[in-house]
Amino acid sequence: MRRRLAGAALVAILTAAVVRLSPAQTATGRVDAVVSDDRGKPVADAVVSVTSPVAPPAAPPAAPAVMDQQNKEFVPHVLTVAVGTPVAFPNRDNIRHHVYSFSSAKRFELPLYIGTPAAPVVFDRPGVVVLGCNIHDWMVGYVYVAGTPYFAKTGLDGRARVGALPPGTYEARVWHPRMKGDPEKTSQPIAVTAGEPDHLTFVVGLKPEQRAPRRPDGPTYDRPQS
Amino acid sequence: MRFGSFRSRLVVVFLGVFVVIQAAGYVVVAAFVRANARHAVEDELRLASTLFVRQLEVRDHELVTATRLLSGDFALKTATATADYATTASVLENHRRRVDADLLMLVSLDGVIVADTHRPERRAAPFPAPRLIEKAETERDVSDVVVIDGRLYRLAVVPLLAPEPIAWLGAGFAIDDPTAAELRRLSGLHVSFVSRQDGRAVVHASTLAEPDREALARQLPSRTAGVMHARGGEHLLRLELVGRDVLVVLQRPLAEALAPFDRLLPILLAVAGTGLVLALLGAVLVARRVSEPVLTLAAGARRVAAGDFTTPVRIEQRDELGELATTFNEMLGGLREHERVRDELERTARLKRFFSPQLADLLSAGDESLLASHRREITVVFCDLRGFTAFAEAADPEEVMQLLHEYHDAIGPLVFVHDGTLERFTGDGLMVFFNDPVPCPDPAARAVRMTVAMRDAVQPLLRHWRRRGYALGFGAGIATGVATIGRIGFEGRLDYAAIGTVSNLSARLCQEARDGQILVSQQVHAEIESLVDATPVGPVPLRGFARPVVVYDVRGLRAEPGPPAAQRATG
Repeated sequence: MRRRLAGAALVAILTAAVVRLSPAQTATGRVDAVVSDDRGKPVADAVVSVTSPVAPPAAPPAAPAVMDQQNKEFVPHVLTVAVGTPVAFPNRDNIRHHVYSFSSAKRFELPLYIGTPAAPVVFDRPGVVVLGCNIHDWMVGYVYVAGTPYFAKTGLDGRARVGALPPGTYEARVWHPRMKGDPEKTSQPIAVTAGEPDHLTFVVGLKPEQRAPRRPDGPTYDRPQS
Repeated sequence: MRFGSFRSRLVVVFLGVFVVIQAAGYVVVAAFVRANARHAVEDELRLASTLFVRQLEVRDHELVTATRLLSGDFALKTATATADYATTASVLENHRRRVDADLLMLVSLDGVIVADTHRPERRAAPFPAPRLIEKAETERDVSDVVVIDGRLYRLAVVPLLAPEPIAWLGAGFAIDDPTAAELRRLSGLHVSFVSRQDGRAVVHASTLAEPDREALARQLPSRTAGVMHARGGEHLLRLELVGRDVLVVLQRPLAEALAPFDRLLPILLAVAGTGLVLALLGAVLVARRVSEPVLTLAAGARRVAAGDFTTPVRIEQRDELGELATTFNEMLGGLREHERVRDELERTARLKRFFSPQLADLLSAGDESLLASHRREITVVFCDLRGFTAFAEAADPEEVMQLLHEYHDAIGPLVFVHDGTLERFTGDGLMVFFNDPVPCPDPAARAVRMTVAMRDAVQPLLRHWRRRGYALGFGAGIATGVATIGRIGFEGRLDYAAIGTVSNLSARLCQEARDGQILVSQQVHAEIESLVDATPVGPVPLRGFARPVVVYDVRGLRAEPGPPAAQRATG
């Protein structure tokens, strides 16, 4: 724990240094968010996004993001990308997969394939894209396509840090694959100032995971072993 | 007749008891069999319902599995996800045929029907079993028996996962009469599916005929088991909840379980009938055995009434009746003894007519073989009154009777004093003989002595009657000869008679004798010559005798110290 805190402090110092050294922004703020469920447990794989009407649109990164298929699971479980980001779907298993999405944000299908498809899939609209595999019912993955450049995913400790925020007023929201209710309703106004981080707390209600069981005789909606 | 009815009463009582016992036995057996059959049916129903429910669970699981298999179809997911309703409906219909379901429905996540193979027009209507969807959100095997459009369906609901749920797929299999019939083939029980709607039972599918369905709907018990009155009699029921509002009713007619008993019934009746016949025979035998001694005693009593004291009743029993018979026989002995004594007295009295009392007693005590017919030489005395016929005609009857009375009183005792046998009285006449039935050494002497004594005895009477104007006299005749002697006459009127010439001769001699004369035959005279003073009376012609016979008139006894006469007179 102490080591982790020390690590986090180091990261904060380095980030502050990077921000300070940034030529575009001389002074930025950040948001430290904690997401927990209604029983107080930290929630991982939650995406905290910070938006502002005046904020610039997200700039797609140069390198494609990667959603692996490993051991018949999507890795990571939740991938966060800025809108317009191409995502590669390398298959690291020795069997084929059939990745598909019926989500309105990105409808696509990668029929049975091995290895990495030649062209990555470009996620050009913001929203949540649910990924499935036609031949492995339990495989489920999420691509969170953010319309804002300010977003972060919580770790196992339920914490996410959204940095490089120019001072100003924003709205912060949280999304999680299993959250109950509308993500829009999680909106919190924040005033970002340079220097001290804003601390945000999100409490989300989680639905039980609804997935096909991985083992034929397994429990109904068991969490896959990754 | 009374004993006949006594016997039939015995038989009736015996048979009545038998029939009551048989009937009671039958009632007990029938009740036992019925209770047993009931328990058997209840056990059977309990077991069957367990198996039945288990089977329904298995079927439900199969149904859910099949539905889930359909839900995995990528084309269905694609069509659904792309909101291509026509294609979705077509895929559904295709899949319905694959699994031979009666109903496939695709339902949106908010519970609205997207496509319905059974009623396509139902699109956009709310799903009729929203509860199942709620359940399917947290459970995996979700199925229930539900009523849709008034029909009963086994309905499974699974999510359409892409890979998150994008819709619900419902698959239904109708539960109808053929379904019930198939279940009946498996269980042998009547199967009915009943829903409760608004507190009312509705029979949706059943193996029962229409009237029994209505009866079931009316009589459906609230508990899990019960009884229903169907057309064929009582049915035992068992209820199992197979859906939230749907019951399956398993039932079996009690009559089916009682069928073996019904087959047994004729045998039981035959056994009972045979028993009844045997009981009847036994009852008759017993009744006869009981009444027979009574009848025997009655017959004995009738014989006694008829005067037969000799035949005892024969009852070989060591009981009260046997004792009664013994007493009866002892009574018979008493009666016989009584009669014997009476007979003896009577016989003695009868003998005394002929014989002296001593002789009569002797004869009475001993056997009467002395009186059997035989021939013997006897001395016969005949005597009578002279002039009696004229007297009897002229005198008053009272006088006649009085005279005879005095006469007999005077001479009668002399007969027995001299041990004579009185053969007969004929008015004034008297016949006495000697040497029979008990022989004596001097019959002629005795005869003469008796006759002389009689003549002496009547003299005062004769004098008396002569004074009164009646010319009466005494005469006698005595003869000795062989005669046939024995009893003559008929039962109740027997005489001891001596038949032969000697009787005739003495009678003729008596006829010949004048007053005071005692005429004896030559033979008699020869025997008593020394005892008497007698004068010969020349040969006398006698009627019935070829030649005149010589007779003697005994005048009197010689005075002699011979004691016998004196002794006899006093003895």
